[in-house]
Amino acid sequence: MENRTIKEPIRKKWIWIVLAIITLGVVPWYFPDAASEPYILGFPLWAFISAVFSIIMCGYLSWLCVNEWNIVEDQEEAEKAKGDKS
Amino acid sequence: MNDLAFAGTDGIIILSAFAIIMLLIGYFSGRGEKNLHHTLSGYYLAGRNLGFIALFFTLYATQYSGNTIVGYAPTAYRTGFSWIQSISFMTIIIGIYLLFAPRLYVIAKKRNFVTPTDWIDHRFKSKAVTLLSIFLMLWGLGNYLLEQLVAIGQAVSGMTGGTIPYQIAVIVFVAVMLAYEWMGGMKAVAFTDVMQGIVLMIGIIVFLIGGLYLVGGNFSDVTRYVAELEPAKTAVPPMEVNINWLSMLLLVGLGASIYPHAVQRIYSAQSEKTLKKSFARMAWMPPITTGLVFMVGIIGIMLFPGLDKTGSEQLVGLMANEIAAINPFYYWIMIIFFGGIVAAIISTADSVLLSFSSMLSNDVYGKFINPKASEHKKVMVGKICGIIAIIILLWIAWNPPGTLYEIFVLKFELLVQVFPAFVLGLYWKRLSGKAVFWGMLAGAILAGVLTLTGYKTIYGIHGGVMGLGLNFFICIAGSLLAPAVSKSKGLEEDLTAINLKA
Repeated sequence: MENRTIKEPIRKKWIWIVLAIITLGVVPWYFPDAASEPYILGFPLWAFISAVFSIIMCGYLSWLCVNEWNIVEDQEEAEKAKGDKS
Repeated sequence: MNDLAFAGTDGIIILSAFAIIMLLIGYFSGRGEKNLHHTLSGYYLAGRNLGFIALFFTLYATQYSGNTIVGYAPTAYRTGFSWIQSISFMTIIIGIYLLFAPRLYVIAKKRNFVTPTDWIDHRFKSKAVTLLSIFLMLWGLGNYLLEQLVAIGQAVSGMTGGTIPYQIAVIVFVAVMLAYEWMGGMKAVAFTDVMQGIVLMIGIIVFLIGGLYLVGGNFSDVTRYVAELEPAKTAVPPMEVNINWLSMLLLVGLGASIYPHAVQRIYSAQSEKTLKKSFARMAWMPPITTGLVFMVGIIGIMLFPGLDKTGSEQLVGLMANEIAAINPFYYWIMIIFFGGIVAAIISTADSVLLSFSSMLSNDVYGKFINPKASEHKKVMVGKICGIIAIIILLWIAWNPPGTLYEIFVLKFELLVQVFPAFVLGLYWKRLSGKAVFWGMLAGAILAGVLTLTGYKTIYGIHGGVMGLGLNFFICIAGSLLAPAVSKSKGLEEDLTAINLKA
């Protein structure tokens, strides 16, 4: 257990750079005025792409929570396992 | 929703059933728990032992109130497709949590924090900073609670077609809420949230299906109709709207993540594993909550074209009437759904109230008035002050203010000013109490003045975000000029990540 490294999101720059890029994809500042058509699944083109980026954001953040965050988990789970046995 | 004629007696039956279930949950979650009423963490944080299901649903039902439906659908109706931003600004909250929750969870457990103020106090050891942040947080929470109280009355009297008048509706449901909260504290709040959250989730989905059925089942037809009738609502948003969108992401993301009741849910988690699992699921909730509500609002444009601002506020009630008329199945689902809206409002109100009273008991009473009091006494003081606060707020609520959304922004403007102290303080040792105090004060004043003088946004940027910018600037510049000198070894340890595991 001692060899395991602590994972804390704030200490990884790439996490925040990727989040900023996704955010820039969500806000539709980069579309020309003509981008309201075609409609995809009933959404104007720009809104559809913005929605896709929003869903990417959901997935990305959800993934980060599980995979890039680990400070005391191993220790807590080990203690819990010990407590359950005794 | 004032003329929701579809549910009179049936509405009352469903509402009573909901009320009884909530009371039972409260009763059983408090029964046999000796420690619950005798320790602050027992009562306010459910003994720091919330498991995944309870934690997830309490995060969900607290973050998404009945207002998310009743207030956001009309906003989508009025602004059109750019309200799709409501998905992203609810999602970004999880991203902001990732900035501070991992470390805060560990420190809070180690140092036995009960309220967000405990962290501010521990970090800066400055009465001025502590008092100012208590004031800002209580202000934000009070406003938020007031909004929920107004909404309960509107939802219930709407649902029962005025059979239950506004005032009585509020009093009955507030009494139910106070009763289960008194009996079970955070545990009761979290367990009732499980039920309230499930009803809300199902309700939104059925509501959207019903709405789609009414417009012939094809969302593309709706968009085509809207594009013809009001092209601005489907057009690519102009630059100012995009700037406002970014500003909204900042304001809601930073503000909602440091809501005192949100922070206390971090403290209440049983383990890091349950906390991250809950957040990971929460990240997926905006598309199926605010996203669906957004679609409901757009469908509303086709069903009820041409409503003005006041008229559009009634949109959910108007649509529910139509959906209930489809057949008996939809009729009953709509009644349950409206009960769900009431339940969702209560599930937000109860968490806010609990947080409010924990700050009165642990921070105001426990830090400044009578620090030597036993925890049992502090809990008691908090419970009673919470009831007094509710009575005062109810008195204000009898004159409900304008539209719901505007108060929603107002509460964030001030609350968000605590953010630099809270989060910068976690990582930057040089951050000094003095700089934090002046930053917070200046930010709050700027945000308040801008909002009150009618400049809620300038070029799309919210007054609260500008205040926050000033706040950050003063915090950083002030601390660079006169850095903090750390006096406490324990604090030094907390701020060094490598020691977190001790």
